Amino acid sequence: MSEMANTDPEGIDAVRMSWNVWPRTKVEASKCVIPLAASISPIRPHPDIPTLPYAPLRCKTCTSVLNPYARVDFAAKIWICPFCYQRNHFPPHYSMISDTNLPGELYAQYTTVQYTLPLSPHNPNPNPNFNDPSMAPPPPVFVFVLDTCMIEEEMGYVKSSLRRAIGLLPENALVGFVSFGTQVQVHELGFSDMSKVYVFRGSKDVTKDQILEQLGLGSSGGVSARRSVGGIGAGAAGYQKGGIPIGFPGSGSGVTRFLLPASDCEYTLNALLDELQTDQWPVPPGTRASRCTGVALNVAAGLLGACSTGTGARIIALVGGPCTEGPGTIVSKDQSEPVRSHKDLDKDAAPYFKKAVKFYENLANQLVSQGHVLDLFASALDQVGVAEMKVAVEKTGGLVVLAESFGHSVFKDSFKRVFEEGEQSLGLCFNGTLEINCSKDIKIQGIIGPCTSLEKKGPAVADTTIGEGGTTAWKLCGLDKSTCLTVFFDLSSSDRSNTPGTVNPQLYLQFLTSYQNPEGQLMLRVTTISRTWIDSAVSSEELVQGFDQETAAVVMARLTSLKMEIEEGFDATRWLDRSLIRLCSKFGDYRKDDPASFQLNPSFSLFPQFMFNLRRSQFVQVFNNSPDETAYFRMLLNRENIANAAVMIQPSLISYSFNSLPAPALLDVASIAADRILLLDSYFSVVIFHGMQIAQWRNAGYHNQPEHMAFAQLLQAPGDDAQMIIRERFPVPRLVVCDQHGSQARFLLAKLNPSATYNNAHEMAAGSDVIFTDDVSLQVFFEHLQRLAVQS
Amino acid sequence: VDPKALPRPLEGDVEPKLFSEMYPMNCNPRFLRLTTSGIPNSQSLASRWHLPLGAVVCPLAEAPDGEEVPVVNFVSTGIIRCRRCRTYVNPYVTFTDAGRKWRCNICSLLNDVPGDYFAHLDATGKRIDLDQRPELTKGSVEFVAPTEYMMRPPMPPVYFFLIDVSVSAVRSGMIEVVAQTIRSCLDELPGYPRTQIGFATFDSAIHFYNMKSSLTQPQMMVVSDLDDIFVPLPDDLLVNLSESRSVVETFLDSLPSMFQDNVNVESAFGPALKAAFMVMSQLGGKLLIFQNTLPSLGVGRLKLRGDDLRVYGTDKEHMLRIPEDQFYKQMAAELTKYQIAVNVYAFSDKYTDIASLGTLAKYTGGQVCYYPGFQFAIHGEKLRHELARDLTRETAWESVMRIRCGKGVRFTSYHGNFMLRSTDLMALPAVDCDKAYAMQLTLEETLLTTQTVYFQVALLYTASCGERRIRVHTAAAPVVADLGEMYRQADVGAVVSVFSRLAIEKTLSSKLEDARNSVQLRIVKALKEYRNLYAVQHRLGGRIIFPESLKFLPLYGLALCRSTPLRGGYADAPLDERCSAGYTMMTLPVKKLLKLLYPSLIRLDEYLLKASAQVDDFKNLEKRLPLAAENLDSRGLYLYDDGFRFNIWFGRALSPDVAMNLLGADFAAELSKVTLSERENEMSRKLMRILKKFRESDPSYYHLCHLVRQGEQPREGFLLLSNLVEDQMGGANG
Ligand SMILES: [Zn+2]
Ligand SMILES: [Zn+2]
Repeated sequence: MSEMANTDPEGIDAVRMSWNVWPRTKVEASKCVIPLAASISPIRPHPDIPTLPYAPLRCKTCTSVLNPYARVDFAAKIWICPFCYQRNHFPPHYSMISDTNLPGELYAQYTTVQYTLPLSPHNPNPNPNFNDPSMAPPPPVFVFVLDTCMIEEEMGYVKSSLRRAIGLLPENALVGFVSFGTQVQVHELGFSDMSKVYVFRGSKDVTKDQILEQLGLGSSGGVSARRSVGGIGAGAAGYQKGGIPIGFPGSGSGVTRFLLPASDCEYTLNALLDELQTDQWPVPPGTRASRCTGVALNVAAGLLGACSTGTGARIIALVGGPCTEGPGTIVSKDQSEPVRSHKDLDKDAAPYFKKAVKFYENLANQLVSQGHVLDLFASALDQVGVAEMKVAVEKTGGLVVLAESFGHSVFKDSFKRVFEEGEQSLGLCFNGTLEINCSKDIKIQGIIGPCTSLEKKGPAVADTTIGEGGTTAWKLCGLDKSTCLTVFFDLSSSDRSNTPGTVNPQLYLQFLTSYQNPEGQLMLRVTTISRTWIDSAVSSEELVQGFDQETAAVVMARLTSLKMEIEEGFDATRWLDRSLIRLCSKFGDYRKDDPASFQLNPSFSLFPQFMFNLRRSQFVQVFNNSPDETAYFRMLLNRENIANAAVMIQPSLISYSFNSLPAPALLDVASIAADRILLLDSYFSVVIFHGMQIAQWRNAGYHNQPEHMAFAQLLQAPGDDAQMIIRERFPVPRLVVCDQHGSQARFLLAKLNPSATYNNAHEMAAGSDVIFTDDVSLQVFFEHLQRLAVQS
Repeated sequence: VDPKALPRPLEGDVEPKLFSEMYPMNCNPRFLRLTTSGIPNSQSLASRWHLPLGAVVCPLAEAPDGEEVPVVNFVSTGIIRCRRCRTYVNPYVTFTDAGRKWRCNICSLLNDVPGDYFAHLDATGKRIDLDQRPELTKGSVEFVAPTEYMMRPPMPPVYFFLIDVSVSAVRSGMIEVVAQTIRSCLDELPGYPRTQIGFATFDSAIHFYNMKSSLTQPQMMVVSDLDDIFVPLPDDLLVNLSESRSVVETFLDSLPSMFQDNVNVESAFGPALKAAFMVMSQLGGKLLIFQNTLPSLGVGRLKLRGDDLRVYGTDKEHMLRIPEDQFYKQMAAELTKYQIAVNVYAFSDKYTDIASLGTLAKYTGGQVCYYPGFQFAIHGEKLRHELARDLTRETAWESVMRIRCGKGVRFTSYHGNFMLRSTDLMALPAVDCDKAYAMQLTLEETLLTTQTVYFQVALLYTASCGERRIRVHTAAAPVVADLGEMYRQADVGAVVSVFSRLAIEKTLSSKLEDARNSVQLRIVKALKEYRNLYAVQHRLGGRIIFPESLKFLPLYGLALCRSTPLRGGYADAPLDERCSAGYTMMTLPVKKLLKLLYPSLIRLDEYLLKASAQVDDFKNLEKRLPLAAENLDSRGLYLYDDGFRFNIWFGRALSPDVAMNLLGADFAAELSKVTLSERENEMSRKLMRILKKFRESDPSYYHLCHLVRQGEQPREGFLLLSNLVEDQMGGANG
């Protein structure tokens, strides 16, 4: 827990690795139990990162970018690539280079640099003068997709949030609006005579071409095809005044009918929202509203397909219930049939699930190929299908927020943050591509996190795949300041000890992230890191020192979640327990078969507790949640940084009491005291818990009395700290303020170690069973772990 | 035959007097006319008649002032009808048994008189309350129908407009006139405050309009999925006019400008029609279609079939005049089933396959209004007037009509715009005063034993006010044993009306020539029969002789053969105009039809030059001239009026003063380029007053005014000479 105090464990590079020292061989690596993984935040801002206003130099063989680890021969004007050892000549404009006149990318401390790039990466003559208006970056596009199957009250909430959002959009941002219920309505914001919508049937899957054609954005080819189907023979050609294109004037540039600059359509949008009604189709009693979320998203994606490539665009879906109509349906309209639970998924008793996932997968692929993002804001008491839509959100790098109501602060405040600028800005970027270069013998298995494999093959692609794999390049349609990815590495199976002497003691990894920043500027961020190889067969001491247990815990959590989703019958608890035991067997100090002798190096000491809490967390104990919640939790687990992800696994608890500073408290029932206030941060919720005594004093109004200033301050402090957490986090967590023995207290109790109720280790008599029962206390867990770790 | 020797119907249609004189309690002939009111007593007699034996019914004809059809509400008794044949109580039923029983005049069944309807009889056997019982004294009466006459609550008047907004529609200016006219009629649509209204427009997509009353402006909803058309809203596409009035007005105000830059050339008419049907199917009502482009996309798309010269005279000729795609007839059947009547307004200057489109009107009780090559400046006023009349005239909704007749005779065929629901029930989703229907009668028995045959027309409908009503017209006709009597009681107007419908129907299955021949053949046969009957008495040898009642029949027959639907061949009328005229003539009441066949020709110049004191003396103007070129004096100014348009003919030697007064600076210009407008002089004002007067006397269609100068070819030929029925008829009736 003390690590939480570390100011910036990620540093300039924003990279954290489970192992900071790498074993030499695949065999040794597998003995380390915890995979070789790096958690990277590809565009996390840092004040020390220099921005270089020119294009990077690339190695002519492996295309890695020049970096401080390159050996430079100033006399010969040559640099040697640390990845492939290729000797590269500096181009003429580097002729002034010397050991006292280094370009930014060669400064030893600038392991991460940022390049601003000319807009078109294909432009052979990049014009450094960005004032050329034809080179103006394309404005970002926001297409709002609003569910209208909701009660008036919810509709009112979501409308007011939308109004606020529209007011916050950059003036040049292009805005589109789609509403849906039984059918989909695409609003033609550029039609001035009256409000105009294009309507699509909600029950019918339509192709992108059909969507474009029906919106009048189709290619002329489509029109002539239809005309010939129309059966008008050659004789009619003259009559039909052939040659005049279909649609309205300027339909070639058609998409601007639907996407207007925010400054031009704010009035239209507000008027539209004023008159927008909830879905008008009658809903018979006992049935769910007819809601065609799938077709709506498909249509929005099709609309964006008419945008020129390279346009940064996001679909912002506001969904108030489950899809019940057309493709993407997750549940029938019959209300007596509940939305699928984890149990149903387990028993393969969710008839809509696989088909819906397949549909959203296709949608994801389309969006990725267009480079566009899907953001999902789901607000409903019941599930809406986040579990099915997850693939489309995650593959496109979209945002996701799950709330109970559009009136709830979790939605309201989160939604507002999306559009805020300045300090509070999420820094939403578009069209990202991540490429990874690595030293010989390092293979990439894949990435867990919001991205899509571009399936770029190469020698660095591992045989086995984890997450988005089979590639050395990934698409990140949407990414922001806090976007985080976990890269899994493997080592070449060839035995390196065969070639002794020539071996470089350092390994290198280079992360290249190109993207469009919120201003539309094309950027390339290059992070090159170096770590040390060690022969762990000889000594594991260095290996131990290089272990990052917080990162390792998060990596394990992410891997466990992935396995639970894709491996049938995967027993997460058992797998985690086994891994932990193997890890402790390898790195613990003990005498065989003597549990009492067991000790862990401080580099590992916190890890078992992380695992204990992970086993109890919503990520593993999914049956306590709906599939939507699980999907939501996992998406955020995968895209948050290590510190926040760690809090999801193992909440932080701070105790406030008189006469002492706020201090971390054990995540244990024992931490509760009548005269204390506890602040629990479990990421998704922030709980302020007043001890009984505190609650009584507060109820008596002591804090309003001048003589009890200290109490007032005590009462105030956790609230202020909670606000600080809330302000920095997206999605905005749920704030729960409760009292000891109050009904809301369960939000705290559920997260605490049940030491007071389960002090019953004697019942767990010496058995050889590796499976721990659920809800054992931390102490019992430890005892079992020690016993099993030392078994020979 | 020398056409010049033929009697000319210069008085226009004359309703048969004999019929009503013989049976004064009969309904007015404007509602029901028989081709002869002498019903043959035997099949052998009927077979010598050769002319159609039948009736023309115009159930909602405008009643003469002061003779409005009385409304009767049998609140407590229920409607009195014959237990067996369902005949409604009428002036011809007889009361017996001291008023406790009544005998059905049609099937002779003795029915009980319900207690509440009982009245004592006087010494002559008449009910003592007769003067308070219009149903027992008047041939036409309207009963208020109780709930058992309703399948559902009476529908409100519904007007749904389906408007083509493709580039040709926009350019014609049609949209503007339509929008303005609808807007100007909003106060006069029947049925306030229940009236419902809705709109859809289309080009390659279908645009619906959400008119919910709470909106500040309508919302346009585009559906482009033509293969799988659907309605984008459950309600609010058809709205209560009084509630959504301001939204409707906003829509109509913006409609003309909304599409002014549209360059879409396509027409997804079929899908649009289906869409309109979906919107309307809950209520029914009138669907007004404004169509400017040949349907090119989706279901119901039509080919440019072309009016191929080579097809004429072959077995396939008639195919041009019937719908190409089954879709139209199927849709019409569906529309009728859901009480939707279609009026097709067509405007194109190119082929739009009126034959197919008109099917929609034909089977739904609607009408076709065709404005070939519509141009705002020229046709705007006509469209404005005719659309306004369509929207504001009293309309009967969700109706069915049946005509009953006495034992021994039976109606076996029905002709006009409607769908036959069973063997004798005509489904008429909407009916109005401008629609007439014809039917033919056959004798079921070899010999009729009764003296009189009774006819009863019953139209069950929903009035715009929301009342369900039954309009009943009853008439009696004598049974005759003598062909001469049949001729004596013949009604040339009714005969020509039935003939016209039969001939037009024949063009749908035969060549034009065959259709014309069959008309002529029957007329000739009839006249031969008549000559045989009277040749001896009159000793007139080879000359054709006419029964007085049918003296105009040969001329009308010739005129019919020269009418747009039947005349000539390929070059004599554009196919769309031919079909459109056919659809129109199928609906025309007798008077209107006769005027179309034999228009009036009036000399104006003398009247215009008269002193102003006598300007309003129109008496002289009613003097019609025979329609022959020889009657056109080159010094004169003539008005030709066929009930649909005026042609004003300027003689070559007409005083330049007159031309200058009427045309101003344009007096010497080519008249096809000149439109008549009122000028600052008395003569011009006078002429305009005359035209106005004529228009007012016949408001069902707006007479567009065409100007033509003698010798202005080919315009003169097209406008006037070809319509001068008596000319160029040589050989037509050998
Ligand atoms: Zn290299
Ligand atoms: Zn009867």
